[in-house]
Amino acid sequence: MTLASITNLSAHYTAGDQRFHALDDVALDVRPGQVLGVVGESGCGKSTMASVLSLNPGPSLRVTSGTLAIGGRDVDLTDTASHRALRGGTVALLPQGALNALNPTRRVGAMAHDILAAGDRRITRAESLRRTAARLEALELPPRVLRAYPHQLSGGMRQRVVTALATLRNPRLLVADEPSSALDVSSQRLLVDLLRRLVADGLVEGIVFITHDVALLSELADRIAVMYAGRVVEEAPAKDLVAAPRHPYAQALLASVLVPEPGTRGHRVTGIPGAPPDLRAPIPGCPFAPRCAHALDRCADERPPRLVIGERDDSCWRSAEAEEAAHVR
Amino acid sequence: MALLRHILSKLGWYAAAFAAALALNFFLPRLLPGNPVDTLIGQALRGHASSETKQRVYETYVAEFGLDQGLWSQFLTYIGKTLQGDFGTSFSRYPAEVATMIGDALPWTIALQLPAVLLGWIIGNLVGAVAAYRRGGFDRSVYLSSLFLTAAPYYCLAVLLLYGLAVALPLFPTGGGWSFGNSPEWSAMFAVDAVSHWFLPFLSLLLVFIGGQAIGMRSMAVYEVDADYVRFAESFGLPDRKIVGYIFRNGMLPQITGLALAIGTLVGGALLTEIVFSYPGIGTLLYDAILNKDYPVIQAVTLLVLIVVLVANFLVDVLYGLIDPRIRAAERGER
Amino acid sequence: MKALKALPARFHIAAAVFLLIAAAGVAGPLAATAGPGDLLGGPFVPPGADFLLGTDHLGRSVGVQLVHGIRTSLYIGLLAGVAGTVLGVLIGTLAGYRGGLADEILMGLTNIMITVPAIIVLLLLSISLDTRSVTVMGICIGAVSWPWTARAVRSQIASLRQREHVDIARLSGSRTWRIIAVELLPYMMSYIVMAFVIQLYGAILAEAALSLLGLGPSGTASLGVMLHWAIAWESIRGGQWWVFLTPTVFITAITFSLLLVQSSLDTVFNPRLRVGKAAR
Ligand SMILES: Nc1ncnc2c1ncn2[C@@H]1O[C@H](COP(=O)(O)OP(=O)(O)OP(=O)(O)O)[C@@H](O)[C@H]1O
Ligand code: SF4
Ligand SMILES: [Mg+2]
Repeated sequence: MTLASITNLSAHYTAGDQRFHALDDVALDVRPGQVLGVVGESGCGKSTMASVLSLNPGPSLRVTSGTLAIGGRDVDLTDTASHRALRGGTVALLPQGALNALNPTRRVGAMAHDILAAGDRRITRAESLRRTAARLEALELPPRVLRAYPHQLSGGMRQRVVTALATLRNPRLLVADEPSSALDVSSQRLLVDLLRRLVADGLVEGIVFITHDVALLSELADRIAVMYAGRVVEEAPAKDLVAAPRHPYAQALLASVLVPEPGTRGHRVTGIPGAPPDLRAPIPGCPFAPRCAHALDRCADERPPRLVIGERDDSCWRSAEAEEAAHVR
Repeated sequence: MALLRHILSKLGWYAAAFAAALALNFFLPRLLPGNPVDTLIGQALRGHASSETKQRVYETYVAEFGLDQGLWSQFLTYIGKTLQGDFGTSFSRYPAEVATMIGDALPWTIALQLPAVLLGWIIGNLVGAVAAYRRGGFDRSVYLSSLFLTAAPYYCLAVLLLYGLAVALPLFPTGGGWSFGNSPEWSAMFAVDAVSHWFLPFLSLLLVFIGGQAIGMRSMAVYEVDADYVRFAESFGLPDRKIVGYIFRNGMLPQITGLALAIGTLVGGALLTEIVFSYPGIGTLLYDAILNKDYPVIQAVTLLVLIVVLVANFLVDVLYGLIDPRIRAAERGER
Repeated sequence: MKALKALPARFHIAAAVFLLIAAAGVAGPLAATAGPGDLLGGPFVPPGADFLLGTDHLGRSVGVQLVHGIRTSLYIGLLAGVAGTVLGVLIGTLAGYRGGLADEILMGLTNIMITVPAIIVLLLLSISLDTRSVTVMGICIGAVSWPWTARAVRSQIASLRQREHVDIARLSGSRTWRIIAVELLPYMMSYIVMAFVIQLYGAILAEAALSLLGLGPSGTASLGVMLHWAIAWESIRGGQWWVFLTPTVFITAITFSLLLVQSSLDTVFNPRLRVGKAAR
């Protein structure tokens, strides 16, 4: 059973006459009541995917194919004009870099009312404020925040306000794009607790949680997807993936992040030799091939198939051939 | 009272600028070589009347402005008189008081400029914000037509409108403040007549203001439409008009400063429009005064424009303090 | 110049229009057999075989006046544009690079000059000058139009000054003028070019406005002077369209093309204005 599932999602940015293939045939499932974690190097397309998934791609992004099945309907991701009605209520985005997400000349309460009124035109201001105050309280913010302008709040408070606003309309699917990276440890705790609680109480039916912090994900997420160069290369239950990643990129990524020393938690991915590929031309084979220690001859030219085994899947020729060999035997 | 402090701190600056304007107005013409005020009077009265009239005018002027004294005491006399609202006597329409002439012309100019500036500001900024938000074809056509409206000097648009809508296609009167044979009075008939004369010059100013503001707002709003807060608001499916409102409010803040800085050019340009339409305001008064070398009138008009510009700047500063919560906060010393 | 290729089509069109008009202003007066003040025919002769653009209220050829007028307007514009840009860059650089008291004083002056409308100062200057040669007008206009440039240059210099290569030059003992000439100004060239176009535009407008008020250059035609007489002799109400339309169209064409050139340069040098293709 799935709450939301994306299939066949491809998109590119245009800049002048150049194209930048940011997403290449992405498929993902979010199950009801679960948190799906997404990890990957900086620039691999996580925020791009978040913008498409939250039905609000930027003006320079062109979605060329893709469907989002959610709540019993299929949303054509290329047809952005039909998305507005679903934004905020069906899917909502908790954006990366929340510090500037608030309109500098609008009070928090007024902004919250705008958001609620976008879903329910008859809602009264008082009702909006009451609901917002309740949500703010869950994040340990005093009601006076309603009357504040963004510049009157500290960075951590602003992040929490953004979180409160993003979840205000109890969206079915919440897409959180690195909501925790700018936070101190205790604010992070609060945020993670709130997200968990929202899912547990059924106010939000599922969450896609994007982060660089694999350690955090292994606690918070039910399943984890690993992205590389605009593709999902592996997806598996969180514990399995952290314990035994299959895809060579996932292995390298985990090896470089999960150094068992305190203080390295949440560090950006470093230590995989080589650089991510240039995405200005589509890549026919496996994008990881130039950096992969296990690369086979066909890796550079042929697209690795997606191999589903039980609860997990990955897209790699090595796994595919190992599986084939197992069958032959 | 943060706002009060904000205003007071600005007030000192404006007092200095006002003093500079007064000095400029007085000394500039007098410091240039070979131009004693005598010559000016001589020129103004050239070909005029008998030598007796000439003598009388001359004496009036010498007495009024203390021309027999040194430059500094003349300046003091000038300041004293100016502060009392006494601008002396006109050369060309002797013995009319300059202050009365200005008083007669001013209401017409205000009736023309004030609505055009306010309406043009609002419409122009809205159009600019919408253009930046919509992008694409709408944006391009708004941009080019606004650029055209601002690029062409005020009076050129005025010439085109006057010829197009009053001469070639006689929909409106061809100029003046009212019809020949009518005279200013408080009656419905006169009001209708005056409005029909007012409309074309008003329209020409309005269009120019809209163009200028739209260009300015668009270039501010282009920075805003990509801002995180706009993307965040969009992600909730907020209606376009709400989002344009957000952009408008944020893009407007720098636009207000822009308005303050541009107001001198606006007022100056608008005066030239009056000339094209022979509209009986300050601009036409100035034009006639220059033709007749009516120095006291010219000086009074330039001073008036300087004062208006300073006052407008000051008001805009106050307004800015009222609108931007960040300024209010900074004044209050909040973070 | 890769940047030139990136410029939109409207840049090339606008630049071509401007250059064509300028060429007419340079070549026209040389080719014309008569002067702008010569009375060649009857008053208000409509355009035809004798006079391509007709004659004005005195019987002077509008066409001959036009080419001379363009030349005068461009001459004043160029002179004032160069003067205004040089002054603005000098003052802005000095204020931005020196900082401190020099900055305070220069910017205080600049702000006052910006607040006081230039046209008023020009007007006061002009009425005191009995004969106004084109050169004097150009210099006067240039002398009051520098503040906008100075202000913008100052803020650019103040931020450039923080750059590493400037620090290195300073620490290695380069002289101030050398740092400014070698380390700062080259980074501002594109900006200075745009400032010059704007100055040129502003100066042509200022000349036209002064002339319209009857304070134009003595003894020669300019676009503003032509419009002044056209209005003074009621040619609009009289329907003699060739008399008033000629200067109006050419003033508009010159200013619009200059502004288009400037705004296209701006989109190239200032990528954020390239809407829709914006690279983050
Ligand atoms: N507006 C844009 N125009 C062109 N290219 C873009 C644009 N936005 C992003 N990109 C490119 O698309 C790729 C994916 O960007 P994205 O923001 O999705 O990465 P990310 O995985 O979220 O990275 P990070 O972890 O740093 O947030 C990047 O390489 C980036 O250079
Ligand atoms: S497909 Fe080939 S190159 Fe890509 S990860 Fe697997 S083994 Fe490495
Ligand atoms: Mg990102």
